Amino acid sequence: MRTMETAKTPGAAVGTDVKTVTYIEAITDGLREEMERDERIFLIGEDIAAYGGVFKATKGLYERFGPMRVIDSPISENFLVQGAVGAAIAGLIPSPELQFDDFISLAVDGIVEHAAKMRYRSGGMFTCPMVIRCCYGGAVGGGLFHSQANQSWFMHCPGLVVVTPATPYDAKGLLKSAFRGQNPVLYYEHKRLYRTIKGAVPTHDYTVPLGKAAVVREGRHATVISYALMLHRSLEAAEKLAAEGIEVEVIDLRTLLPYDKETILRSVEKTARAVVVYESSKTMGVGAEIGAMIAEEGFSFLDAPVRRVSPPDAPQEPFAPVLAAAYLPDAARIAQAIRETVAY
Amino acid sequence: MAVSTDELKGLYYYLNLVRQTDERCRRLFKQGRFHGTYFSAVGQEATVVGSCYGLRAEDVIGIQHRELGAVITKGMPLKYVMAELYARKDSPDRGKSHPCHYGWKPMGIITPASTIAAQTVIATGCALAFKIQRKDHVAVCFVGEGATSNGVWHEALNFAGVHRLACVFVVQNNLWAESVPARLGVPLDDVSERAKAYGFPGLTIDGNDVLLAYETTQEAVRRARRGEGPTLIEMKTYRWYGHSEIDPANYRTQEEVEYWKRRDPVPRFERLLMERGVIDESYKQATLQRIEREIEEAIDFAEKSPHPEPHEILEDVYAPLG
Repeated sequence: MRTMETAKTPGAAVGTDVKTVTYIEAITDGLREEMERDERIFLIGEDIAAYGGVFKATKGLYERFGPMRVIDSPISENFLVQGAVGAAIAGLIPSPELQFDDFISLAVDGIVEHAAKMRYRSGGMFTCPMVIRCCYGGAVGGGLFHSQANQSWFMHCPGLVVVTPATPYDAKGLLKSAFRGQNPVLYYEHKRLYRTIKGAVPTHDYTVPLGKAAVVREGRHATVISYALMLHRSLEAAEKLAAEGIEVEVIDLRTLLPYDKETILRSVEKTARAVVVYESSKTMGVGAEIGAMIAEEGFSFLDAPVRRVSPPDAPQEPFAPVLAAAYLPDAARIAQAIRETVAY
Repeated sequence: MAVSTDELKGLYYYLNLVRQTDERCRRLFKQGRFHGTYFSAVGQEATVVGSCYGLRAEDVIGIQHRELGAVITKGMPLKYVMAELYARKDSPDRGKSHPCHYGWKPMGIITPASTIAAQTVIATGCALAFKIQRKDHVAVCFVGEGATSNGVWHEALNFAGVHRLACVFVVQNNLWAESVPARLGVPLDDVSERAKAYGFPGLTIDGNDVLLAYETTQEAVRRARRGEGPTLIEMKTYRWYGHSEIDPANYRTQEEVEYWKRRDPVPRFERLLMERGVIDESYKQATLQRIEREIEEAIDFAEKSPHPEPHEILEDVYAPLG
């Protein structure tokens, strides 16, 4: 796997008080540290205990915390999430792991009807602090049923917080914030980034706020709004375009719901052009919401239509390598869309 | 264990309170005093009164829409039950949810959603937490026989069986899942046979015998508290009226309804207590008067409670993001 550039995150660690870790190590470290800090936290999921998870995100945690806090579940995705809702009501902070986003449809009732609506439906009597970790994303040859990116489904669910980090720094910092709040958080981790992305992470405790985007590259000709794997490809595109004299501002959404309108609008006001780069089929994807919001609230800033760069409206990333390669946008495609937007 | 006179009187009070409240709520809905709909459980009172009487405040119940009797017996104040139906500001849910979706945190009554069997899964999750926390609280999970065909119910019972959680699964088999007869939902005469698949005991009892429902549930609760795992109790009963007040229930024969009305759990228990000399006619009249007064007070509370204000639509969507 090729190594991609690490996104520059504001507030990211510099100096000696840091260590360099992979994206997945940042998640494992974040889980361990939070479980040490708060004994109400427990993990439950398929193959997560002695086996350490299919991607090894929970490696070593069963040995450290034992069978009452790292629980192997039967193949019961619905129970994983909905049972966790009950455990949260009873005073714990559960973290169910959904092995692949491709299986999340089995847990939608728990996420949408129960976790997201518990506070609302009970007039604030019951809260549902929990962190649903879900592995997602393409570009690993996973085929139609192990590559999915379904974030936009859950962006339509007020009451839920949806996050997806791009860097080890944010992976750990967002995870810690998720565990320390009172909301149900759907924490999406990108499997392509697990071992391809390394970055500096403080050795001391820190958090990254939920609901805040980050400007990870400054520019004045166009704003690119993206997240996770597509953020890295957008940064590659921005680097290419810099050589051509096009200065691209790149925003990492980090939290997809509720997302940070202010940071987006402030940037678009400056650049007058917006390109949304996201990983799911085009229609009604993340770009639909961001594009509509910019059109509604930032129309007077714009000198060009908002552009969406995404996979085509295929169901998800197909298996055959040639088809898979035609699915996710690469840096060249993103760069071309930015060029066209700037030239409009 | 012998049931004390106080317990018998307590069961009698709740059985009548639930019956009177339910019949009164039907009338209130028909009079247009509250809107939406109403899900009556008249005829089924013995199941929920028997299984909730004697539970501790810390025990949780997972309920669906037909569990008025469960929430009243578990200890939700009647005025909040009424405010919920009226969707008023003083309802615990602040008018947000749905008719008959009662919840009351101080007594472990989990506010439900409408997806069937889901509250069993959530309450089972509470029981998992009780095990992790080393507490001896119990989760009592209510469904009808129809919900036992739902995959999520299976996931919950399977998990509870694997981890020997402190759950009591009460199935109120009222023979009809809305309009679908039990024979098209469950390929068994007794739903309790399903328990074999989960490795814990399943019992079938007469659900119109409140004393039997109480004794059976209490035994299952004691077993659960001792860490001996779940029990499934099927209680055979019948709902006298439609699925909701807008359902004429013409899928059933009048003979069937009359058969079950002759097995009314309320006078049946009353006769037993009169025969045993636990209560007499004057006790009965005093109890019914007390109940009448309590219901009037609750209605008065609900009707005087203000409607929520439009701006409250966005309250309680999120806790502070932090």
